[in-house]
Amino acid sequence: MTTVLVADDSETILLLLRTRLELAGYEVQTAADGQEVTERVVPGSSDGPDLLLLDAMMPRKSGIEALRELRAAGLETPALIVSAHQDPRDADAPTDLEISGYVTKPIDFDQLLDAVAELTAKAA
Amino acid sequence: MLTAAAVIGVGHFIAQRQDYENSIERSYQAEMAARVEFAEGNRAGAARRTIAREEANRAELRNSISEDTRNTAILVGGGLLAGLIGALLLFAGLIASMRRPLEALVDAAGRLAAGDRSTRVEVGGPSETATLGKAFNEMATELELEASERDQLDRMKDEFVLTASHELRSPLTSVQGFAELLMLDRDSLTQRQVETVEIILDNCRHLVRLLNDLLDLARSDAGRLTIRPRPTRLTPLLEDVVRTMRAQTDKSEQTLTENIEPDLPLVEVEPDRIRQILLNLLTNAHEYSPERASIQLTARVADTGVEIDVIDNGPGIPPAQMEHIFERFVRGDAGMTQRVGGTGLGLAISKSLVELHGGTIAVDSEVGRGSTFRVTLPVAPPGAVEAPQAGPRAIAEGPR
Repeated sequence: MTTVLVADDSETILLLLRTRLELAGYEVQTAADGQEVTERVVPGSSDGPDLLLLDAMMPRKSGIEALRELRAAGLETPALIVSAHQDPRDADAPTDLEISGYVTKPIDFDQLLDAVAELTAKAA
Repeated sequence: MLTAAAVIGVGHFIAQRQDYENSIERSYQAEMAARVEFAEGNRAGAARRTIAREEANRAELRNSISEDTRNTAILVGGGLLAGLIGALLLFAGLIASMRRPLEALVDAAGRLAAGDRSTRVEVGGPSETATLGKAFNEMATELELEASERDQLDRMKDEFVLTASHELRSPLTSVQGFAELLMLDRDSLTQRQVETVEIILDNCRHLVRLLNDLLDLARSDAGRLTIRPRPTRLTPLLEDVVRTMRAQTDKSEQTLTENIEPDLPLVEVEPDRIRQILLNLLTNAHEYSPERASIQLTARVADTGVEIDVIDNGPGIPPAQMEHIFERFVRGDAGMTQRVGGTGLGLAISKSLVELHGGTIAVDSEVGRGSTFRVTLPVAPPGAVEAPQAGPRAIAEGPR
């Protein structure tokens, strides 16, 4: 089963993302911030998530920081960044990171689920 | 100098005149005494000589006084003339000494009015202009202080709008997301519940549009609205915009037609922004026009670039509203806006965006006949090729 790791500091958004992804047939793991993500994901391990869906701004450690650490440790899992910014270009968008795409709020779930399907199909 | 000489001359002349009158008097008296002596027959010869001498003496005195008078007149006339010239020179000097500081003041006032609040003048010249200059500098300092406070407030306002519209996005995501979740299960909802959820979703979309518009305007005000123009083919973009709009115009049984000149040159634009502008203009045409109205999108090459017209045969815009049509929160008739869902920001943003591209936007309208909005976009430099979008792609971008 395809697994998606979702990280967001808002429990409500987390519940929403989890519900929609589970309804679409994915297995969902959740994390409350970037710290939990880096603790949970082990680069190079075979049973890790197939996709990361990370909020750009979280307390303790942001999604961007978590992804930067994981990429430095050799993680190749595709990642989507969720941002409250309307335009990914003026978010604090890092150009040095392998990011598969930006999801802007409010989230258009039809497009999000299409992107998730596309990225996890590649991984599978 | 000469004036002083004239005054002295006149004084001298008066004294001389006194002497003259005294001498004439004495001469008459001497002559009179001689005549008495002559009449009495005393020393008649000496008396006759005295009479003749005194007559000659007076004639000489008269000559001398008339010469003095002439000299004095010349002296006085010359003195007055010199005085007049002197006064003129003095006046001209005064004017010249005030002119430079006054010109500097006029120049500085112009710069201040044009918005350069750091403008100051060099205080100089006669004391009057120096005082004026000092007063001007104090006023400029006052203005500069006020302006910097206002700028700071403006920056705080911009920051606030940017932050607020970001912060509002998360709760809005939840409201819209959970309402959509309900609709996924719409078969188990009653008709009334479905309608309720649809109202929630409609309002979410309106709120998103408002937030996006506010964000664009705040960015524009803060000078942070940026575009990334690249050589772009217009025809597919225009066709795509028309396709997107068709769902809405079909609902109102409006006819939406396109008339795109073949072989349009590439334009130097950011495609997403042009899509945003044209969707905004077409949405306005759709919302303000009655059912079964006709809306047209045309594009052709002109001297100034590529001209895109959005033409409708709707109610038109009254001339009084036309001058303010591109200002924020200015909308059509109050009665009309009841059923029109806009934010009153679309045209203001469209104008900012078009101008950011180096293009122009204009409106022509006649009440009862309809409106035409014309956007002119710059043509890409010769030899340019269509460039693909750079950077990471945006997924699930909210509706604009």
